[in-house]
Amino acid sequence: MAATRRLQKELNDMRVNGLKCFRDIQVDESNILSWTGLIVPENPPFNKGAFRIEINFPAEYPFKPPKINFKTKIYHPNIDEKGQVCLPIISAENWKPATKTDQVIQALVALVNDPEPEHPLRAELAEEYLKDKKKFFKTAEEHTKKHSEKRPSD
Amino acid sequence: MDGCAEDSADSEGDYSEDDFDSYYHPGGDYIDTEDGQTSADSADPELFPVECLTIEQVENLLNEAVNAVCHSLNTSPSLAKLFLLIHSWDVQKVISGYKADVSSFLATSRVITAGCNCALAQPSLLHNHLAPAAADTVNEDSFVCPVCTCAAPGKSALSLKCQHVFCVDCWTAYVQVKISEGLSTDITCMAQNCDLLVHEEVALQLPISNYHKLQYQHFSFHNYVMSHPQLRYCVGPNCSLVFKAPEALAKRVVCRQCTSVFCFKCGNSYHAPTDCGTIKNWLTKCADDSETANYFSAHTKDCPNCNICIEKNGGCNHMQCYKCKHDFCWMCLGDWKGHGTEYYECSRYKENSETANESAKARAALRKYLHYYERWQNHAKSLKLEEKTLEKIKERINQKVMNGSGTWIDWQYLLDAAALLAKCRYTLQYTYPYAYYMNQESKNLFEYQQAQLEAEIENLSWKIERAETTDRGDLENQMYIAEKRRKTLLKDFFQT
Repeated sequence: MAATRRLQKELNDMRVNGLKCFRDIQVDESNILSWTGLIVPENPPFNKGAFRIEINFPAEYPFKPPKINFKTKIYHPNIDEKGQVCLPIISAENWKPATKTDQVIQALVALVNDPEPEHPLRAELAEEYLKDKKKFFKTAEEHTKKHSEKRPSD
Repeated sequence: MDGCAEDSADSEGDYSEDDFDSYYHPGGDYIDTEDGQTSADSADPELFPVECLTIEQVENLLNEAVNAVCHSLNTSPSLAKLFLLIHSWDVQKVISGYKADVSSFLATSRVITAGCNCALAQPSLLHNHLAPAAADTVNEDSFVCPVCTCAAPGKSALSLKCQHVFCVDCWTAYVQVKISEGLSTDITCMAQNCDLLVHEEVALQLPISNYHKLQYQHFSFHNYVMSHPQLRYCVGPNCSLVFKAPEALAKRVVCRQCTSVFCFKCGNSYHAPTDCGTIKNWLTKCADDSETANYFSAHTKDCPNCNICIEKNGGCNHMQCYKCKHDFCWMCLGDWKGHGTEYYECSRYKENSETANESAKARAALRKYLHYYERWQNHAKSLKLEEKTLEKIKERINQKVMNGSGTWIDWQYLLDAAALLAKCRYTLQYTYPYAYYMNQESKNLFEYQQAQLEAEIENLSWKIERAETTDRGDLENQMYIAEKRRKTLLKDFFQT
């Protein structure tokens, strides 16, 4: 199956090259279509922790895009309470089979680092982010400390 | 009992707002009647020369344009279709655009990457899209398809003019997935940030399944029709007719197959004198605010005299309470006396100048909206209710004919009157969104004309419902006046 071969290669490349912002990639041996990993943001207020995400690849991968879900709670205008995230690069209309998973991850990390309040999933957070950034940062930092995972030491 | 007030007993279901236009065209006879009127009356501004085309006729029409481009530019039909699709089927524009600057024309048509002048250097490439993947740049033995990461022999790899090379298996799988998603002429290259189009020739030369091929042809045909300014699909569900008009104007189209009535330009229900943009705003607004609006404009009202609960059971706004026999207007709940003889003005919205603070403004805005919404909604309901009136008229005519008082033909004028009434109500309904968005200066005259039509059709409605006692000449005179008033209201719309 085309998906397995391609994912195996992508997984190897990512493990060899190692993204600084995406660690601890875990893949179930029996099911290469489901990955988890740790997003390690650099910008405040999210740089106080790490966030576990799940990537699910469809059987038609790479002709259909993967889906990403946050397993760790995050106080972010573009990520909702269920952990769903709106990322244009993996939307059905924009998806290109030649797009690699590390490009998707980089787009995701960029979104986490710099929220896009113009097209939010949580409108109330976007409004707070635009109108009272200080308050947003404070709440988001507390939220991060309370819910996020430990950042890798190295 | 017609037009009079009655206790509310009917279910709400009778008032579903969507199917009022089914009354607008109850059958062939209605359309005939209208044609009869138009020939008698000099020029009907609503007359619109639309042709009804079969799929085959549309194909011929499109092929003519494609052949003209192919012949003039010496390109493949596939590319010609792509050019025409992007340039709204304007053959002259395609030919002159191509001749003026080939590279920029090909770039805007998404055939080559912008800034690349390969088409000029190698014009032959244009006709050879399935060029074996750049044999010079990719070493056949070492080529690895970036999508499936398999090594592929060079001859089974392809690229568009962007030189993003992928193996045929991946192209095939990709195109099939995209077709399953409903795409056809809009499938792009598989490389990230590359928006070159996989045009028809490329897609159909891939070894995709027959099912996908058929689907592709079906979807691409749909896109061609949609992009053609002179063509429009019938909006009726499961109706596949295509209409052709000389120009994309906001005029009325009546489908001869499914009897849908819609605006040629935007495809919404026919909406003169409101324009396409305004009706869209209005319908969106109604969809958003209808809950509130429904809450305010309940289906029943209380008699202003004795306060008994009243439901409207006919199209006429002239109500007579069944209990106290009070005559009043359904819209403004005022005494009907003023409506018959004096100036009819309950269609006019009176702007309140004393709106100081924010909340008062919001309330005023809601009141303004509700004023127009209620009248819009009321005409829709009246249209629906007059469907019942029409049934009653038919019944009464039958009885009369049976009893030997006149023939069916003698009573035909009553059906004409009912059809005209529906037409006027329909137009009036669509004057309210127009008036809602109108500025104050031009509004006075418009609302004056609107009020005149309102008054005339209420007279007409009243007379039709009491047809036995009304004189035929009187009724026909009333019909003539109502139609005149209706055309006055539409005049400005058809001049712009």
